[in-house]
Amino acid sequence: MQLNVEIKRYNPEADDAPHWESYEVPADPLDSALSLLLHVKWHIDGTLSLRKSCAHGICGSDAMQINGENKLACSVLVQDLVDSDGETVRFAPLPSAPVIKDLVIDQSRFFEKYRSVKPWLINDEPAPERERLQSPEEHEMIEDATKCIMCGACTHACPSTWADPDYLGPAAMLKAYRYTFDSRDRGTDERLDVVDSEDGLWKCYTIFNCNQACPKEIDITRWLSALKRKAVTS
Amino acid sequence: MAVETAERPEAHEVTQEVQTDTSRFQRYRVRTGMFAWMAHRLSGLALVGYLVVHIWGLRALTSPEAFNALIAKYHAPIYKVGEFLLLVAVAYHAMNGLRIVLIDFLGWSPNQKKLFWTLGAVTAVIIAVGGYPSIYALVDHYFLS
Repeated sequence: MQLNVEIKRYNPEADDAPHWESYEVPADPLDSALSLLLHVKWHIDGTLSLRKSCAHGICGSDAMQINGENKLACSVLVQDLVDSDGETVRFAPLPSAPVIKDLVIDQSRFFEKYRSVKPWLINDEPAPERERLQSPEEHEMIEDATKCIMCGACTHACPSTWADPDYLGPAAMLKAYRYTFDSRDRGTDERLDVVDSEDGLWKCYTIFNCNQACPKEIDITRWLSALKRKAVTS
Repeated sequence: MAVETAERPEAHEVTQEVQTDTSRFQRYRVRTGMFAWMAHRLSGLALVGYLVVHIWGLRALTSPEAFNALIAKYHAPIYKVGEFLLLVAVAYHAMNGLRIVLIDFLGWSPNQKKLFWTLGAVTAVIIAVGGYPSIYALVDHYFLS
């Protein structure tokens, strides 16, 4: 099938503002959306910039807005975006993120927020001889949250993030949940100080854009709600 | 540490020109969750506006005659439309508020779409039953009498 691919282009050295450009791209319904972009880059216009690495939904490099929703370009098939020949697929960088060039965004603020929730094991108790054990039941609590690949699709899909760039966002607070509810962790108070704040949990209005955007289908809102309950009960 | 060579000098922090669209309004596909939230915000703002008008109406409580005169004005058709819209806003805001409580307090997040449609149906019934008198009064005013 022949598709019309529209990409929001921006070159800081030549353009004052981002603009849309169209390309005719041959595609198979079972191709990934990423392959449409790579066809443009490799056969039509080599100046197109985008991030991709593994192309198999593990590294989380190619999160972008595709047909109005945040998705991982490598993890969505052409047949799930269009029904027939000649239809349009639109690619834009993640909404509200600073754009460096074309589809490449500046992720520094995203990772600052990530680091602010102390995403590591906090436990001063003496380490056991071999390892800190966790039962399967205890792991099940955080299993879903451990699947996060830090692609940023959720945080940049959140209207609270659009309105308040300092809002921690779903990705960072999901990490806070993942460690707070880890049976081996003792850092609940430290982490709640960060998330139970003006720019934290209480700006989550259960809009569910994060759940919809997550390529790993993590029920982010559910875990943020659990963190909210933890914050008010402890 | 990386070895420094002529071809590959040590990396320096580059100040990049960054294009930022910081608008709080972004073009994004509206699914049930975002629709429910936007409608909740709008109905909430409408109810705050209504509350101001409602309290303002109480200024006439100083004398029985003045109050009766004010209440008589509320029988005009435009107020029947307002009455109906008030019911729509209250019914939706209350039911979606219940949905948010169930999600946040009981962790019903996995069922949020089912919750939206179920409580949406309940809202429609409340509006149909509760809004019947206002709509009937309007129809009666313009078509029957």
